[in-house]
Amino acid sequence: MKRIFPLIILLVLLTNITGVQAQDKPTITLTLAAYTTPREVYTEVIPLFQAYWLQETGQRVEFQESYLGSGAQSRAVAGGFEADVVALSLERDVTRLVDAGLITHDWRDNAYNGMVSTSLAVLVVRPGNPKEITDWGDLTRGGIEVITPDPATSGGAQWNVLAAYGAVQRGNVDGYSADAEGAYTFLVDWLSNVAVLDPAARDSVITYSRGIGDVLITYENEYFAGIAAGDEYDIVYPSSTILIENPVAVVDTYADDHGVREVAEAFVEFLYTDQAQAVFADKGYRPPVLHADDETATTTESDGGSQWEEGALDPERFPMVDDIFTVAYFGGWDQIGSDFFGDDGIYTHAIAEAQ
Amino acid sequence: MPGVAHGKRAIVNASRPRLDLSGWGLRGTAILYLLVMIALPVFVVFSSGLQAGLSEFWDNINHPQAVSALRVTLITATIMTVINVVMGTLTAYVLVTYRFPGKNLLDVLIDLPFAIPTLVTGIMLVLLYGPQTALAGFLQEKFDMRVLYARPGIVLALLFICYPFVIRAVQPVLVQLDQRQPEAAYTLGASGWYTFRRIVFPAIRPAMLTGGMLGFARALGEFGAIVIVAGNIPLRTQTAPVYIYGKVEAGDMAAASAVSVVLLAVALVVTLSVDWMQRANQHG
Repeated sequence: MKRIFPLIILLVLLTNITGVQAQDKPTITLTLAAYTTPREVYTEVIPLFQAYWLQETGQRVEFQESYLGSGAQSRAVAGGFEADVVALSLERDVTRLVDAGLITHDWRDNAYNGMVSTSLAVLVVRPGNPKEITDWGDLTRGGIEVITPDPATSGGAQWNVLAAYGAVQRGNVDGYSADAEGAYTFLVDWLSNVAVLDPAARDSVITYSRGIGDVLITYENEYFAGIAAGDEYDIVYPSSTILIENPVAVVDTYADDHGVREVAEAFVEFLYTDQAQAVFADKGYRPPVLHADDETATTTESDGGSQWEEGALDPERFPMVDDIFTVAYFGGWDQIGSDFFGDDGIYTHAIAEAQ
Repeated sequence: MPGVAHGKRAIVNASRPRLDLSGWGLRGTAILYLLVMIALPVFVVFSSGLQAGLSEFWDNINHPQAVSALRVTLITATIMTVINVVMGTLTAYVLVTYRFPGKNLLDVLIDLPFAIPTLVTGIMLVLLYGPQTALAGFLQEKFDMRVLYARPGIVLALLFICYPFVIRAVQPVLVQLDQRQPEAAYTLGASGWYTFRRIVFPAIRPAMLTGGMLGFARALGEFGAIVIVAGNIPLRTQTAPVYIYGKVEAGDMAAASAVSVVLLAVALVVTLSVDWMQRANQHG
């Protein structure tokens, strides 16, 4: 306690001083509700935005940040957690807020369809790739143990199922016919090699880092996060995989209630700038511009794009994959929900048959 | 700490002082507290589970994954309870009967599982039985037995969590046990085992059952440790609480509530039978 007191006094003094400086424009508070994995990104992006906003408007923005699993976060906001901006792992969790009447504007109305970061479903293997895993087809070999999160508890985990299923259906996995039947057979064979279904994507990485399993199916950004944390793995890009897209949106109802619409919109826009995207890229997220289907899409200019050139978009860091598809290939999340993960869904049958 | 609470309750009941100064106010407060804190939430789960009608309720709990999850939970909890009753009684007996160095420390250690977050319990077991550890390698090689991400791992986690229940239920009864009886049996030529079986065991049997059942009820709902050690493969190692969590995450509250109702019903039956046994014991 003794040590804390001087700190508190210092803080009080500091706030007083700054309060005097920005007297004409009171500090405003923005509440960000995000999913867990981009926490490292936002802790770096938020100070950048605060500086930018102070410079532009002379106004201080304070952030209240909440990090929770995407589905849980979305339900919390729908249930009355008054966040001004949501950053979630998949579109369906934003759709829930649209359905709840909290997001009323067309949040997909920008060059990247409202997707602030992207990633790929990839395979992570032990250093040196001792089991010689090169593509999806190797996951069904006898004696290979696969780690993947549980699609029932982790919305994000559904990407992995869709990635593998789509790769087979699109004819990119040897030994399985390029149709729904072949893809289903692959799913069953693969799921019977799954050793642990962790409740969330990060838990899977932790399980794998404890030495369990031969292959981990995860997102490219999780691989980079693991490497940054000092873990040792190799990454294997399958020849065909799904593009993971993470949405961000202003929650109209709450932003208007709190009178922070202007700054909330500015924050979301800021996330697409080179400055912010460089942080995303540094933490392992592919900037959406890499995979934008709109030819005219470019990153918005804020600082001349110089950081961009220096490594963030290094093609060696984010190699291209022969065949990349999106959830649109499966008809969107609504369709996926009933086709794959419903009571009569493809995955539901496959996991039962795999046992 | 239900185990400890039980032990004290038996003592308090025996010599309950009849204080009437408080009248209805105190009683009303206690009953209201019970209603608001326990009865109301339980009622909400029941009503939400049965909301869509009995046939949907039945479909929800009859789903193959739900059936399997309930079965895994009940089987592992039962195995744990059997081990816990035998080993817990033995431990309590040793603690009460013998003197040895470090006994006090051991006595304190027993309650630790109550204070450790069960998530941490799970991680400890992973560190202990994880695939790289010597212990796991030994078990795998010698017995072809996999502890982690299999049912033995679940039982181990539950044993850790429920460790204190039987000990803390049996211990006070053993302490109160009239020492003259076993001593008399002993002097009359009965063997130690015979004395235990005919004199000590009948006296502590209700406490053994009570402790075991409380542990069993506690085990039914365990989530934090299991989600880490079980592997959570549907139809294989997924337990009912993990299944419920999945249904909650998927937004399927009807299915989540339905399986919860089953767990609640089992826990209720267990609790009622514990109560019934205590009464039977007091009157008999």
